[in-house]
Amino acid sequence: MKRSLITFVYSCISIVFLFTSCASDVDFDQVNTLKLEPVFIANLAYFEVPAPDFVDNGQEQSLVFDVPAVDVFSDKFFRDNLKKASIFTEMENTINRAYEVELLFLDKDNTTVYSANLNVPAYSGTVNKVNRTDDFENVQLDLLKRTTKIAFILRMSPGQPLTETSSGKLILRSGVTAYLVVE
Amino acid sequence: MKKIIHILTLLVAFCSWSQNKQILYNFTAVPQSLMTNPGADFKYKWYAGVPLLSGVSANVGSSGFSTYDLFANDGVDFNTKLRNVVMKTNRNDKLAINQQMEIFNGGFRIPGADRDASNAYVSFGMYQEFDMMSYMPKDLAILAIDGNSNYLGKIFDLGDLSMKAELLSVWHIGVHKNISKNFIVGVRGKIYSSIYNANSTKNSGYIYTGPSNIGVYDQSIYSNMQLNTSGLAKYDDENNESDVVKDITKGALLGGNLGLGFDAGFTYYPLQNIQITGSILDVGFINHTKDVESYTLKGRYNYRGIVPSFSSGASAENIYKEFQEAIPLDTINSKYTTWRPIKLNSSFQYSFDEDSEDDCNCKGNGSEAVYKSAVGAQLFVMSTPRMPMFAFTTYFSRKILKGLQAKATYTLDTYSSKNIGLGLSTTSGPINFYLMADNLLEYKDLTKANSLSFQLGFNVIVK
Repeated sequence: MKRSLITFVYSCISIVFLFTSCASDVDFDQVNTLKLEPVFIANLAYFEVPAPDFVDNGQEQSLVFDVPAVDVFSDKFFRDNLKKASIFTEMENTINRAYEVELLFLDKDNTTVYSANLNVPAYSGTVNKVNRTDDFENVQLDLLKRTTKIAFILRMSPGQPLTETSSGKLILRSGVTAYLVVE
Repeated sequence: MKKIIHILTLLVAFCSWSQNKQILYNFTAVPQSLMTNPGADFKYKWYAGVPLLSGVSANVGSSGFSTYDLFANDGVDFNTKLRNVVMKTNRNDKLAINQQMEIFNGGFRIPGADRDASNAYVSFGMYQEFDMMSYMPKDLAILAIDGNSNYLGKIFDLGDLSMKAELLSVWHIGVHKNISKNFIVGVRGKIYSSIYNANSTKNSGYIYTGPSNIGVYDQSIYSNMQLNTSGLAKYDDENNESDVVKDITKGALLGGNLGLGFDAGFTYYPLQNIQITGSILDVGFINHTKDVESYTLKGRYNYRGIVPSFSSGASAENIYKEFQEAIPLDTINSKYTTWRPIKLNSSFQYSFDEDSEDDCNCKGNGSEAVYKSAVGAQLFVMSTPRMPMFAFTTYFSRKILKGLQAKATYTLDTYSSKNIGLGLSTTSGPINFYLMADNLLEYKDLTKANSLSFQLGFNVIVK
């Protein structure tokens, strides 16, 4: 009797621990197909120039520029995984003079890899806004990745003279949408 | 980055454990139950675990998702499944691993002590433990999978990253004494020797991108993150020639970072067939002073983009460098202390079905009546870096035959509301073998299980 009971119990254990443990079909190699495609948005550039800044010692400065260094592409991970980029640029003008704004993306040899021009009319009671969006893929993107500095060139068109008490300002806002693919 | 994701996903797949041993607790037919309550009620003359085989235990559990959710071979793209898993979990879902292996373990009654009146026992041993716990780093996972473009205005919480992992050996010696006929207390001192430790549990900070009136976006990062490691830095050195096996052996033999701790517990019989027990385990710390290396990312950065010098206000160029200077990755070598996860167990048991045989060592009280069957309830609580973990268990235990004891459990915890477990202890002569496993319902498809655990081992017991 005891022996048969023991046999019964051990049979139950065997059933519980061995035969009823099943597993669905799983494939751990799927991890090799991992592909992350995050999309990041970030500021790219910004400036704000009040009208009096275009006047120096009573003289109008119709050409203003600067060439700051850009090191975002020095990060290898970002450079290698960036597959597409979109640059949005907007100008806002409340000064009663028209402006031409030129952005030149330069590589380490000062060769222009991308340029963008925006012409914004003079202020006449309503805020003037102009914008443009440029997409970069493939060859265009490879060129963009060589950027090491950006030349910001502001040209003020002729018009009613500015003084050190003139009102209004010129604003540039630029943002980038970066499409990464990490495999 | 991809390597990190590979490692994380594989860890998720294989290792997700908690430390509740609800079947072993108060299952005094098995000497290892003394490790879950140093004041457990058992009465061996002496016992010895079979070296390396006396106690092997591990549990798997992941709240939030299962192996199947990620790795089902169902034709659905892995990246879609990964995304679904990330989206359905929350920051308090956790993955934990706990594995223990007894190297040696034994105990004996102090000679001369009266077996039935004032029993006093000594137990001792050494075991190896691997312990790992990680919360779901949800916001960071969303950033990695989706980026921030669809989350304008969302604050990504860097505090979501909270993990710890440790390989250690534990040397212990305990005493166990019947204070009176119906009250047993026990205490155990422990020396911890940590071989490898990594922890990053006190992180805070955020990444924010929102609409702005100034630039295109209002973007800021505040980071207060730190990863502490001990025993690992030497492998980062290219000239390192150390041997991992030798390092682990040396660390296990008290050559690691040392710490102290204790366990304490009791068993009390208010009535002959009513039993109350309680224990507190691993109240202790480890001082990490050797081969210590910590990494910090601390700082604040408000990102405006490139700002030429003619702009009003401060200009900004080389913004990547500026960011790295604002939130630098620093390496520091200062000692730190970690606390062991404290475990609390308690139980209430009602025994019935009086046994006429007098050799049952596992129920009842001394030479008084012993019982074949018992029902009871247990509560388990464990400290974690955030909220404590709770598990509530009801059980039925039964002496099926002379030398064959069983305990069946039903447990409610973070991982499952239908966790049924079964433990069996069989003794033939002096040889004792035990096997316990929980979440038996999940055995019909292991890949869909949120948690699994088992314990097994061989002992020599002389009554």
